[in-house]
Amino acid sequence: MWDIIAVDISGRHRIKGGYYMVCAAAALTISASYIEKVKEIKILPLWLKRAPSLLDIVQLIEDTADQLSFEGTIVAEKGDMYNKPKWVTESMFSRAFKYQESIAERRSIELVHHISLSSRNLLIKELQIEA
Amino acid sequence: MKILAEQKSGNGSKVILVKRTIPNTDPEREEYLFQELRELAKAAGYLPVGELKQTRYPDSKYQLGRGKIEELAELVRSTSAEKVIFYNRLSTNQLFNISEICRCPVIDKFQLILEIFAKRATTHRSKLQVELARLRYEVPRARAVVSLLKKEERAGFMGLGDYEDSYEQDLKKRIARIQSELESAEKDDESLRALRHRKGFSLVSLAGYTNAGKSTLFNAIVNESVEAKDMLFTTLVPLTRALDLGGRKALLTDTVGFIEDLPHWLVDAFKSTLDEIFLSDLILLVVDASEKPEMILQKLSTSHDTLWDRIQGVPIITVLNKVDLVDESELDGIMEQIGYMAPNPVFVSAKKGTGMTALKAEIIKHLPPWCFFSLSLPNSEKGMSILSWLYEEGIVHRVEFGERILVDYEARTEIINRVHALLEPQEI
Repeated sequence: MWDIIAVDISGRHRIKGGYYMVCAAAALTISASYIEKVKEIKILPLWLKRAPSLLDIVQLIEDTADQLSFEGTIVAEKGDMYNKPKWVTESMFSRAFKYQESIAERRSIELVHHISLSSRNLLIKELQIEA
Repeated sequence: MKILAEQKSGNGSKVILVKRTIPNTDPEREEYLFQELRELAKAAGYLPVGELKQTRYPDSKYQLGRGKIEELAELVRSTSAEKVIFYNRLSTNQLFNISEICRCPVIDKFQLILEIFAKRATTHRSKLQVELARLRYEVPRARAVVSLLKKEERAGFMGLGDYEDSYEQDLKKRIARIQSELESAEKDDESLRALRHRKGFSLVSLAGYTNAGKSTLFNAIVNESVEAKDMLFTTLVPLTRALDLGGRKALLTDTVGFIEDLPHWLVDAFKSTLDEIFLSDLILLVVDASEKPEMILQKLSTSHDTLWDRIQGVPIITVLNKVDLVDESELDGIMEQIGYMAPNPVFVSAKKGTGMTALKAEIIKHLPPWCFFSLSLPNSEKGMSILSWLYEEGIVHRVEFGERILVDYEARTEIINRVHALLEPQEI
């Protein structure tokens, strides 16, 4: 069993007035092929006037993961990190970081992707943001 | 563009292998990927006579730099190579430009894989699958190819017509026709799988990276003698045999191997082959344990990537094959590094036949559970016929004949439910 923090960001496309992104982070315990336990989930929205840089993305992920009361290796999709090689992104995080590999890690990313997407849709509707 | 007979066999024709690498990548890994290209060329029957590598970002016109392409053309001339094979995916323009300079046919890794598949396709269905994959690959290129070749020329009467669309339309029509033919074959497969399930068989399939030793393991575990070679893509048509697990019946299927960067259109074209894996009750993921842990991880990652979204929670056993080539003291170290990617690991050597008992025990542990049941059947013709059916579908532990037939029985839940459905309430 391994403790991971799966993260995903929705909304990295331009809308009226800038970029409205929502990051979801889930503290999970996984085995090689299954999610064994979902311990905690947090989300964090971010408004940016300009296009997000890799550093913005790293900061957003770190801030969201900091809200969790569990430790674990941060797991993200390569596309979320602008397809940068692992050694580049690894060195930018203050905690352990890796790209998704195993079936369980891929399932975890799928889970947080749905969370970030649906929370962003809800926030856009509730806050009446023009998308 | 049909795949010609001489192309099909590879025919020992001389080829030059080319790979472009982006800067700052792991040289060892790049060398491994190049080795994979050599193996693929060998599997297609080609004879590599030259190699060319360049580290740079892609050039939109030639993939490599202009100077390197001229070096390649010179190499083609001096070695009298008949074909150039690129590791990198080439756009239609790049294909056209490179072949203009080199004066010989140019293909990329995906076309090479297609050639191997075309060469090995023996059944009607696998031929259709190869044709479908090839057509799908061709469609986006069709329009561009025609316009590149006919830049100066107008088709039709007095040069006023235009046949670019019709070529593309023709391809699309052929794709639709093959798809419908394959769909009907898929339906047959589905009903066969359903029948096997009804019959009480559990379906187990072998999956894994190409050349992991799946066919050798298949031979060792079911005492069969299918072709197993130290070559990529030896198996293309799935083969199923009965597997005896101490009374429980299971069917083991040997399947086509995975490869890194296998494009989705190819996976889709081979859907009916890969469905054997996706729709089974248990997957044996075979890995070559004699390789370096980083390589094992890379191959496991490719396998997990192909499987994860399609298997719907089916249990996986990781079979670490070729342990005879590894020192026993190293196994713990390997497991420590690859553990997070290897569910339910079992060490075996298919060649030497070691670890087979442990593997079978692990298979039984992960198959869908059988229920243990005590039945009381009427001692009549109907009861006897049900009893003989029970013998076929599961394990009869004890039978006692008296006024009624008392049976201790083990089988899938579906079988038990069917017995109840067959008997009238007052007969149970």
